[in-house]
Amino acid sequence: MKSVWVFYQKEMLELLRSYKLLWIPVVFIILGIMQPLTTYYMPEILKASGNVPPGLLEGYVIPGAATVMAQALGQYGSMGMLVLALATMNSLSGERYSGTVEMVLVRPLTPATLVIAKWAALLTLLMIALGLGAIAAGYYIEQLIGSLSWSTVLAAASIYGLWLLCAVSMTLLFSAFLRAPVAAFLGLLLTAGLALAHSLLPSWLDWTPAALPDLSAQVLLQAGSVSLVGPCLSAGILILICMGGASLLIRRNILPN
Amino acid sequence: MDSVNWGLIMPLLILQALLAIIGLISLAKVEHTRGPKWLWLIILIFGNLLGSIVYFTVGRKDI
Repeated sequence: MKSVWVFYQKEMLELLRSYKLLWIPVVFIILGIMQPLTTYYMPEILKASGNVPPGLLEGYVIPGAATVMAQALGQYGSMGMLVLALATMNSLSGERYSGTVEMVLVRPLTPATLVIAKWAALLTLLMIALGLGAIAAGYYIEQLIGSLSWSTVLAAASIYGLWLLCAVSMTLLFSAFLRAPVAAFLGLLLTAGLALAHSLLPSWLDWTPAALPDLSAQVLLQAGSVSLVGPCLSAGILILICMGGASLLIRRNILPN
Repeated sequence: MDSVNWGLIMPLLILQALLAIIGLISLAKVEHTRGPKWLWLIILIFGNLLGSIVYFTVGRKDI
């Protein structure tokens, strides 16, 4: 346990030194602010771009605060997920290719220590980025559109965060035995595939982690009761499988092939 | 454009500038980037949000 903590501190230092701890939260805040701003100023933006047919702008109604918050979280599902996968892809494969993983694993440490510490550092990064982004988005929505219930925002952001964490964990798994760009690509592909499968067969796959973005929006819009147990449980199992697989595979694939 | 409240848009511009400045600092400190350094300098200065993201994800070798 102590070695995990030591490794975690080293990982956080590395995230800071590689500027990830700075630029990823800033990108998340910008994405969060942009959604309410573009929604609110949509008529101005259309007017400025010219060629707007008359009568189009009269019909424009600004969506409700909860809807805009759901859209802002949806931004993290596309752009935010891309950024997170790209930031995760090198975490294990970088150590393999630079040879540091050999030096680490000749010590009396289990590969699981390394993987847990990496994962915990990425979770911290995700929580900081998503938390600051959701607060920024919520503040702008309060200023421009209307009041929000902050406890539902917290719940919805946590549910969305779990989905992002699944994507990060899958990328971490692939980065244990593949080159970094391939790991990011496969992680994103698998996440997108899961999301696509869920959107095609929602009633069959509503227990998968891919249901989490929809549930997050439902929590925000307070559309009846939502059953969170299935998706949360399967997300937890998926994350555990990814971490276990990464621990096993990194031992076998220390040397890049 | 009188109805636009620039006080609300200013933080967005400041954050984008902050991102570009973090990128420029890292570019000044790093020895090698993927591709020529002067190209990343131009991308960081004129590339707005996307330029900075592309620099941090693609340009840095030790991402």
